Amino acid sequence: MKIKKALLKDSFKEIKASYKRFISIMLMALLGVGFFAGLRATSPDMVNSIDSYYKNQNVYDIEVVSTLGLTNEDIEALKQIENVGEVYGTYSQDGLVKDGEKETVTKILTLDDVNKPVLIEGTMPQNASECLVEEKFLTDNNKKIGDTIQIESKLEMAEGEDLDELVQEASGNESEEVSQEASANEKEEVSQEASANETEEVSQEANNGTSETEPEEIATETSDEQNYLKNQTLKIVGTVESPLYISRERGTSRLGSGQINSYIYVTKDNINQEVYTEIYIKLKNSDEYKTSTNSYEKYVEETKNNIEAIKEERENARYQELIDEANQKIAEAEEELNSERQKGESQIQEAEQKIQDGKNQIANAEKEIAQNEKEANSKFSSSQSQINSAKEALTKSEKEYNSNKATLETVFKEAENQKKTLQENIENVNTSLEQVNASYLELTEKLEMKDLPEEEKLALEKSKTELETKKSELETTKTTLEKNLTELENKVSEGKQELKQASSKIQSAKLEIEKQEKALQTAKSQTNAQIASAKQELETSKQEIKSGEEDLEASKLEFNQKIQEAEGKLIDAKEEVKKIENPVWYILDRKQNSGYSSFVQDTESIENLSLVFPVVFFAIAILVSLTSMTRMVEEQRQEIGTLKALGYNKFQISIKYIIYSSLACIIGGIIGMNIGFQLLPRIIWDMYEMMYNMPEFLVQFDIANATLGLALIYICIVGATLYSILRELRQTPANLLRPKSPKLGKRVLLERITFIWKRLNFSHKVTIRNIFRYKKRFLMTIIGIFGCTSLILAGFGLKDSISKILPYQYEKIFNYDMQVALKNTLTQEQIENVKNSLKSNDKVLDIVESYMLSGTANYNESQEDVQIIIPDNIEEMKKVINLIDLNTEEEINLPNDGVVITDKLSQLLGVKVGDTIKIKDSNDVEKEVKVSNIAENYIYHYVYMSKEYYQNLYQEEYSTNVIFVKDNNLSEEEEQEISKNLISMNEVSTVQLSKTIMKTLDDTMNSLNYVVIILIVSAGLLAFVVLYNLANVNISERIRELATIKVLGFYDREVYSYVTRETILLTVIGILLGLVGGYFLNFYIIGTCEIDMLRFVKIIDPISYLYAILITVAFTIIVNIFTYFALKKIDMIGSLKSVE
Amino acid sequence: MPYIEFKNVCKEYKMGEIIIKALDSANFSIEKGELVVIVGPSGAGKTTALNILGGMDQVTSGDVIVDNKNIAKLKNKELIKYRREDIGFVFQFYNLVQNLTAIENVELATQICKDSIDPSEVMDKVGLKDRKNNFPSQLSGGEQQRVAIARAIAKNPKLLLCDEPTGALDYKTGKQILKLLQDTARKENMTVLIITHNAAIAPMADKIIRFKNGTAESCEINNNPKPVEEIEW
Repeated sequence: MKIKKALLKDSFKEIKASYKRFISIMLMALLGVGFFAGLRATSPDMVNSIDSYYKNQNVYDIEVVSTLGLTNEDIEALKQIENVGEVYGTYSQDGLVKDGEKETVTKILTLDDVNKPVLIEGTMPQNASECLVEEKFLTDNNKKIGDTIQIESKLEMAEGEDLDELVQEASGNESEEVSQEASANEKEEVSQEASANETEEVSQEANNGTSETEPEEIATETSDEQNYLKNQTLKIVGTVESPLYISRERGTSRLGSGQINSYIYVTKDNINQEVYTEIYIKLKNSDEYKTSTNSYEKYVEETKNNIEAIKEERENARYQELIDEANQKIAEAEEELNSERQKGESQIQEAEQKIQDGKNQIANAEKEIAQNEKEANSKFSSSQSQINSAKEALTKSEKEYNSNKATLETVFKEAENQKKTLQENIENVNTSLEQVNASYLELTEKLEMKDLPEEEKLALEKSKTELETKKSELETTKTTLEKNLTELENKVSEGKQELKQASSKIQSAKLEIEKQEKALQTAKSQTNAQIASAKQELETSKQEIKSGEEDLEASKLEFNQKIQEAEGKLIDAKEEVKKIENPVWYILDRKQNSGYSSFVQDTESIENLSLVFPVVFFAIAILVSLTSMTRMVEEQRQEIGTLKALGYNKFQISIKYIIYSSLACIIGGIIGMNIGFQLLPRIIWDMYEMMYNMPEFLVQFDIANATLGLALIYICIVGATLYSILRELRQTPANLLRPKSPKLGKRVLLERITFIWKRLNFSHKVTIRNIFRYKKRFLMTIIGIFGCTSLILAGFGLKDSISKILPYQYEKIFNYDMQVALKNTLTQEQIENVKNSLKSNDKVLDIVESYMLSGTANYNESQEDVQIIIPDNIEEMKKVINLIDLNTEEEINLPNDGVVITDKLSQLLGVKVGDTIKIKDSNDVEKEVKVSNIAENYIYHYVYMSKEYYQNLYQEEYSTNVIFVKDNNLSEEEEQEISKNLISMNEVSTVQLSKTIMKTLDDTMNSLNYVVIILIVSAGLLAFVVLYNLANVNISERIRELATIKVLGFYDREVYSYVTRETILLTVIGILLGLVGGYFLNFYIIGTCEIDMLRFVKIIDPISYLYAILITVAFTIIVNIFTYFALKKIDMIGSLKSVE
Repeated sequence: MPYIEFKNVCKEYKMGEIIIKALDSANFSIEKGELVVIVGPSGAGKTTALNILGGMDQVTSGDVIVDNKNIAKLKNKELIKYRREDIGFVFQFYNLVQNLTAIENVELATQICKDSIDPSEVMDKVGLKDRKNNFPSQLSGGEQQRVAIARAIAKNPKLLLCDEPTGALDYKTGKQILKLLQDTARKENMTVLIITHNAAIAPMADKIIRFKNGTAESCEINNNPKPVEEIEW
């Protein structure tokens, strides 16, 4: 059908005439399409950006990680798999960058053709002494390109390496030591005489031996822990961005504070390790797929399944390889040990032999000495016997002599007696003589005497002669006597002489004997001394030999001990070999990269949001265009009637309005989509850029969404136009030509409640009656305000909800400050060790032991990853984890016949209390458990189980592997100090600080402010368009009335309040409803955007309600200012002249 | 000194490039308490003159004296005050607020006036004692015009300006309305101006001003105004 030219012309004229209406419809279309297209395009734009980024940097599709490293054979095996393209073996490990006191935990990555980093500044490394860092690293550490850094990183390639160490220790070390011992012994040369010096040497050597081993040991210990990097001092040559780390999250480490601060790229030839830490796989033709799309994920999943098929084989191969290697090493070590042992033993034997020789020699010497002694003794005894026989003879002669002497003595005695008698006789004689002499003398005297009578003299003379005879007689006797005596005396003296001679003879003999005896004695003592000293010497030798023996014994013992130790270690090593667990392959894809997955999750949230918001805009667009177009049609009622009367058909009449609204719609829509496609994704990207590092954000014109958006808005606006025009066209021309009967005034319900009505002043009555009169406008205003308020409230509420997640989870639910993960299979003692170390800190309040394992929970078709927490003691756990019943808000006691699961898990699985779910742990052991309660929780999913229940269920002993620590309000620094100490303990695997988690997450959540701003701006725009449009419709619809009251003399302010009183009332109603609506919209948005891992808190802060109210009021005021001027400009005359 | 005086009043409208002279040096005067009928063909400028007199429009040049006040020189706000206190308007199409009852329409005017007359009383006066609480849509044209008159006179204005008050009414009703206006002028001693294109009703006036081509062509005083009942057309 040909459109009449006049009608077309009329359409354009109409646009010119009512440009305000046209613009307002255009604006609606602009907003609707802009928001729809922009929001809808943001998520694909983000996906495209990451897709192109990943394609440019050749980012992996599948990653294979093994607990025990990966080999070239693995690479070869993977290459055989269908659809597997390039396969890259790469290395990565954590290291510490040391700068004075400061330690930065870094992830050391290698440059490769896969996951290529983007060079931001500087150059790529040319050799192993250069490295690349991330921008953040430079600012954090106050470094610049060209500076050097010091990296410390130890080889830590799983159990295989430990084993190596053990084996090395067992073989190398010990045998060396033993040989040293042996060599020490070897030097022992037992001398013929068992010299003291030699043995001394032995002990000294032995001493030297042991003292020497010590530094040796230390030396070997340090050289054992090899460095991961060949070059530890690296020069920074540039900064990069890694596609593997697009988010701020850098992961956790066993080093330092446990949190990786940054990454660093080194060249592959700087790596001091043979086995790869991971293998990256690019799929064939993966460039044809867009990342994160279903087809891509399906493609990856298929290939992953194929890899899964060879997984076990490769795991076993690697296991076998490791075992073989280890066994070989052990065998070598064993062999070495044995040879060393043999050597040592033979040396010991030699030494023993030598000692034995020495001993023998000593024995010989002893024998010799004994013989000598004996000989000497026999000699001595023979000379003794000679002496003795001499003595005997002497004694005999002595005896003889003595007997002779005795006889002689008797003889002598006799002689003496004779002598005595003789002498007595002589005496007597002498006396007689004397008497004779005296008598003689007297006679002589008397004779001489003159006077003497002669008679007498003769008598005297006679007597004298007589005397003289007598005297002579006597004299003769005497002489004989004396002769006898002399004879006798001679005889005696002769005898005596003889005796004396014999005695002297005996004496000399005696002397001789004595001399001989003395000589013998001297000889004897001399000999004895000689023997003694010889013996003593021998004794010392013996002693020395003994000490040498002892030393040898000690050495032997030590040797044996060491050998035993070495053997023990070998056994340990063997044990260790036995303990080598089958390596486990983890086949990962991009989704396991935290940056990538959170990015994709974010794109999904935006996708969800993009479904919600445009709906609001479209709804408003429909309402606005409906009122505008209805008003327009009403205004042109007569014209329509005239045309109809003239015979134009419905189509021809309505074409004007359709052209009008179509033009508004298409122009607005096209402007809107262009703005929307450029602006919205960029604004949203700006806010995400704070969280993600990506070099380029690609904005594209998304034809599909553009068309869809335009089509939708077209349907809404033109549909509304058609509706209003067709409604009019149903009437007869005559009816149309007559002015439309004005809306009837009516009493409102409130008037019947007279006691209220009476109290209202006149203008209020008018207001109320007007509100009820213009129901459509009333609804429109309320809906507009409602939408505005609820969007704003939802925005703020969303922020409140998300910002509450952390405090709720880490203050309300989890009360602990640290989560200390212990290594597997610790002894009770080791656990106590960690506990004691914690208890010793008086700032630590509570320590709660628990067993934590990850697994999955299944119910029907749904499956979710969960953490299973089994507290050691239920009462203790209450100190750090509050299990709160979701509905009753009461504390939950862990039952012994069921589990407590967290709220979001129950929702995702569709489980309620009393249902039975399946729990599968990491060992694929599946158990059915009853859900006995559902607990409040905000981050991640947990399944709580009592110890008794666990032990009953799994028939396994409970063992602590996690310790929750609550401290006395420590600062983060203090906590980090504790964490550092804990990490340094061998028993501790990782330490997570609640504060650190909160801080990092909090930064992320702060970026949500932008969401709020977007919501507010869009809500504001919405409110403005709606209110402005409504105000215009209101004025135009009531222009006559307004002109009338102006004529009546209402001041501008009075006119304004006459109109806006209604608007204000409607705004108040709209706001109130909006607050309620926002409350639910918030929950709806939360429900849509909520990530599976999180439960958003269903809370809106009171202040947010206030903000929503204030912002809405502010927008209303802006619109009212426009209204004020529009009212002022009303032309009274023009308005009143025309016929309605 | 006349109560109302138009002195060389000119009014030009710009319609794009064309300037239309609605009033071209119009001069006339009205005494207090006079019932004046302004007649003339369409486009003669009578409505423009009435609008200017009613403070709804401003002159391009000239003076308009009302009760010793030159309203041509008034500012917007003073004009509103002038309308509010001194003027009562009656339109051809009544211009009642549809959403208000008859008496409420009157109240709408009285609530902003100082010396207003009780709306109920005025309603009685215009003969709508029983129709007070009816909405305009429930009233006939004549009744609606009565409400409009009641609304105008309830303000107790110095001037009652009526622009074709009977234009939309049938003969009989029109007559009744004119009667009401005449009575009001007489009884309240109110200065009343009635614009009409119907020269037949001119004899009811004290003064008849004839407009033609934007000027008051003649201004004749009718010393024997006829009661409306006697006028036939």
